Amino acid sequence: MSVRAADLPLHAVSWLVWKILPGRAATKMAEFSHTEAGSGLDMLAATEETPRPELRARYFRHALDELRHARLFRERAGALASARSPQGRSRAQAVLEDGGYLASQGIRGSESLFRQLGELEFLAFVWVHEKRGAEQFDLYASLLRDDASTAAMFAEIARDERFHIAYSRAELDRYTKAGATHDVRWAVLRVRGRRAWQGWLRLTRDLGNAMAGLWLGLLYLLVIGPFSLVARATERPVGGILAAPPRAPAAERARGMA
Amino acid sequence: MSYVLGLSGLYHDSAAVLLHDGKVVAAAGEERFSRVKHDAGLPVLAARWCLQHAGIAAGDLTCVVWYEKPLRKFERILVTQVAQFPRSARAFRRSTFNWLTDKLWVKSSIVTELGVPPEKVLFSDHHQSHAASAFYASPFSEAAVLTVDGVGEWATTSLYRAGPGGLEPLAEILFPDSIGLVYSAFTAYLGFQVNDGEYKVMGMAAYGQPRYEAEVRRVLRLQADGAYDVDLDYVSYHWSAEDSFTPALARLLGPPRFPGAPFDPTTPEGQRYADIAASVQKVTEDALVGLAGWLHARTGLENLCLAGGVALNSVANRQLLLRGPFARLYVQPAAGDAGGAMGAALWAWHEVLGNPRAAEPVALSTPGLGQAWSDDAIGALLADLRVKHEAIDPEQVPERAAADLAEGKVLGWFQGRFEWGPRALGHRSILADPRRADMTDRINAKIKFREAFRPFAPSVRAGDEARYFDVPPGGELLAEWMLLVAPVRTAELPATTHADGTARLHVVRFEANPLFHSLLDTFGDATGHPVLLNTSFNLKGEPIVASPVQALATFFRSGLDALYLGSFRVEQSQVEG
Ligand SMILES: [Fe+2]
Ligand SMILES: [Fe+2]
Ligand SMILES: [Fe+2]
Repeated sequence: MSVRAADLPLHAVSWLVWKILPGRAATKMAEFSHTEAGSGLDMLAATEETPRPELRARYFRHALDELRHARLFRERAGALASARSPQGRSRAQAVLEDGGYLASQGIRGSESLFRQLGELEFLAFVWVHEKRGAEQFDLYASLLRDDASTAAMFAEIARDERFHIAYSRAELDRYTKAGATHDVRWAVLRVRGRRAWQGWLRLTRDLGNAMAGLWLGLLYLLVIGPFSLVARATERPVGGILAAPPRAPAAERARGMA
Repeated sequence: MSYVLGLSGLYHDSAAVLLHDGKVVAAAGEERFSRVKHDAGLPVLAARWCLQHAGIAAGDLTCVVWYEKPLRKFERILVTQVAQFPRSARAFRRSTFNWLTDKLWVKSSIVTELGVPPEKVLFSDHHQSHAASAFYASPFSEAAVLTVDGVGEWATTSLYRAGPGGLEPLAEILFPDSIGLVYSAFTAYLGFQVNDGEYKVMGMAAYGQPRYEAEVRRVLRLQADGAYDVDLDYVSYHWSAEDSFTPALARLLGPPRFPGAPFDPTTPEGQRYADIAASVQKVTEDALVGLAGWLHARTGLENLCLAGGVALNSVANRQLLLRGPFARLYVQPAAGDAGGAMGAALWAWHEVLGNPRAAEPVALSTPGLGQAWSDDAIGALLADLRVKHEAIDPEQVPERAAADLAEGKVLGWFQGRFEWGPRALGHRSILADPRRADMTDRINAKIKFREAFRPFAPSVRAGDEARYFDVPPGGELLAEWMLLVAPVRTAELPATTHADGTARLHVVRFEANPLFHSLLDTFGDATGHPVLLNTSFNLKGEPIVASPVQALATFFRSGLDALYLGSFRVEQSQVEG
């Protein structure tokens, strides 16, 4: 496989993950199982929300594919993890069992992707992201030649992704043929732009969180610390069944947050 | 015409409930829409659906009621972390960040997301919401109310007297002494996820004996007057955001079970875990019986309403009836934090807006309070998706389904509005013939892909329950919501009888669900037993399905034999083209 210069970092990181750190590979697949499930949910929402009947069936099949990928990754991650640690104590297992992963990673919000983007941009999104996914999975499959069953799983998934690329491209071409060349180009650009923008946002968010963590850490040491010495004396409130404190009338109490 | 919207969330199981002139007209958990299990966000989708269902705009609402007091909760977290310096460092950074950037702004989030004016946003308090959800949904005009959960603002247990004058708080037990958090710490110790795997501990307990009762009582210390406290050396929920128990617990009971490790009660290690689960269960039951004793002594009332996450413990509910002093028990179907949305709304309606209760209150009559889809909409969807299907005369649906079930088929059953609360009660269910012993393994392994030790519940036609089960007197209302476990009297229902000879039964009244009732009728005519195996329509780790698209996606990924989607029957042939 020839490697473009721009892809070198991805290749280097992937090589590290898949060849050198086998524990990471299981965790990575556990994470994939969540992100694939997240795409499955996006596609199910699109199935419900698209006004175009002919696309509804496509989105639905696509959703079933992604949900199947989620299962394949989950099973593979589970098998790898338990082969390494039969007791079930591993990072991969913890990620697999994390029911809150989609929410904590910001993969699911309250507005569906389809509603945020609309049909054309949603299709552009599918095309751009499936292409990226297929490239990644092809790369992983090629790196995993000595682990035949995992490589086979990646190859199988990459096959589905190619179908997803093909149909979303065909739909975009249909827009182009209907004269919306400019709109399609814009949609693809916007999706790519948003990808970069979200990468940037993630970076600034992570930086911001790190800064906030630092400040809060300082606050903890300098304010909470001394304060805790004073508070120690009353550390534990009296236990047992306590009489309920007196209350203001309901209408008054309902106003406040405290 | 007055509409009140109740909301709960930002911890786990967020939900929205709409009252129209004091009557619940719509109620739904956010997870059913967002598809994130135990969704912990703001219940935006559920709230919007509630408004849409009633055909109203946010401006038509009399008020929106949040289920707890955010500032008081934040205060508890801060005070605890101060006291736990320096080991609370990580938890402090994490929770303070979350509170400062998100949770403290719940009022403005509600205002912007829903478009209601700020003066219409009201706040109940956590345990008051729980208590109201049980009492105001019950048929009792007077009752004692007990709420037991992990923690709200400060309270972890609250005791009330309730009557025509509303809820009167009598007493409370405060954080960090918490039955719910101790149960969750043991849930984590036994290798399950906190706030999700508590049911599994209950399921596991059936395989064991309470051989570790003395050890568990060192963690949760019960006193003679019904009070309890927690030995904080064994738990870490008051200072850690990640863990809920300490190495001291492992020294007391042996190594914890890791998540995902196989559970086999025939091995010594598996037996130890089952015995620990049984011991936790036993001590929890004793604690509840003790609290009920306190309440009964103070109130002298006959009826008890129970709420909070611990009230979902259907095994403990039976012990409360058998060993506790109250004659009747009521639990609302969403007894956990989702139910806080219903309680907040009902409390505001009765106690803030001052609307008295009826002299003879009517209990919440059906769990079917979520969204429904018409046969027209389902038919159009099936055609669009090019899914092979058969349209059935709606009158014939019970007969066809009963015939399939009698043949041994496992069915997806999607009918009417989806359920309020964590249980499938015949609206979004997986159904099978409970007389077939192999069904348990078949459904666990091939259909839902979940742990083999987990039992399935039987749904039985109202009036026939005594033929099969020893329903403790006073538990009739609980059995309607699948919140009561009872010994099974017959060997004829192997697939729904748990390892210890009990079942978590679901009694189906005609008025609660006419179609499901008639399915039980028809199945009873064909087989002599008006009982079905009923489990939630979802795969392991996923929320129960809400919409037809979700039902189809779950159906095609499972080993279900057929799906009754409204008046359509779908088989496992894949989507065409
Ligand atoms: Fe995929
Ligand atoms: Fe894909
Ligand atoms: Fe609660």
